[in-house]
Amino acid sequence: MSGFGAGVLHPLVLPAHVLALLALGLLIGQQTAGRRIVSCAAFVIGLAAGLTAIAFGVGQTPAADALLATAFASGALAALAHPLSALACAPLAAAAGVALGLDSPPEAISITVATAMLIGTGFGASLTLVVISAGTSYLIGVREWIWARIGGRILGSWIAASAILVLALRFARGQLL
Amino acid sequence: MDHTARLQSAPSPILNQWRAVVVAAANMLLLFAVPALAHTGSSTGGFIGGFAHPLFGPDHVVAMVAVGLWGAFLGPPAIWLLPIVFPLVMAFGGVIGILGVSLPGVETAIALSAVVLGTMVALAARPPLWVAALIVGVFAIFHGHAHGAELPPGADVVAYSVGFVVATGLLHLTGIAIGLLARWRAGRIAVRTAGGAIALAGVAFLSGLG
Repeated sequence: MSGFGAGVLHPLVLPAHVLALLALGLLIGQQTAGRRIVSCAAFVIGLAAGLTAIAFGVGQTPAADALLATAFASGALAALAHPLSALACAPLAAAAGVALGLDSPPEAISITVATAMLIGTGFGASLTLVVISAGTSYLIGVREWIWARIGGRILGSWIAASAILVLALRFARGQLL
Repeated sequence: MDHTARLQSAPSPILNQWRAVVVAAANMLLLFAVPALAHTGSSTGGFIGGFAHPLFGPDHVVAMVAVGLWGAFLGPPAIWLLPIVFPLVMAFGGVIGILGVSLPGVETAIALSAVVLGTMVALAARPPLWVAALIVGVFAIFHGHAHGAELPPGADVVAYSVGFVVATGLLHLTGIAIGLLARWRAGRIAVRTAGGAIALAGVAFLSGLG
């Protein structure tokens, strides 16, 4: 598989990344159109910043834990299903983007392949978030399927519960931060 | 319209959609189901290990199903609020268990949850929503504590936790799927009988027979 293709798939094969993207996508999908665009843009900017930092060789960071923390916050807020202000949603999306970017170091020796992987990761994560949030928004806002809104809330509570359990376990093992 | 009348009235599109969702979820659960032998505490890591863990404790299984049954019996909004409240509060209990904070009478409380929740279904009890959520939430702490204290030192913690929470949620959805039978007269009798059986099972767990 090419470096770009491996990068695209990278956020989809790591459970923590999938959790964070799903929770954030559900949360953003519950917001109004304007806030969806701002939040997705904030995520992409944060992701680009995180991936750029990785490209410049930033050292070990607690990005995995930060990503789980954003998954918990996004999942809990999606479970509550209250409209958020852009000031609350966009920073959360940006933080998730930065954390996901920093937690995606390319596993390649060649600089060319590593760069392609980073670009692929940025593309794959951004596309995944847009698809999830657009799909959620379509089902809830356009089709007005009540079970989709309820299902999203239940899924959000499951993600929040999973994320906080993992964080607690990492804390108990002395692995947190 | 009260809850009884609502449950006995013509099926609403929302409930039909819900029924399709929970039946699909119940089918998914059957694909992954394993025999409930004893609460031994699975030591396998990964998604399958986490998914199997709640299914290995009959006391947990009947209590989770009872939550779903009761939610379906109470009707909207309890039918979806209880499955949202339970995992979040259970996770709080799980954190306490993981951190090693002791909680008195955990196993007793878990057995008692089957007795109380089963009795609520058997008696068709309809307390205010906040009371139902409080009862479920209190027991969720004990269930979460028991699971949290038994989490294995496996490699893939994230996948394990996701499997564990998903299995718990699917048990709720199974209870809801069964509970939707309460819309029919014969179904109500069957659901209330199931509640009685769960309460009896809880008594057996309390007395050490289960």
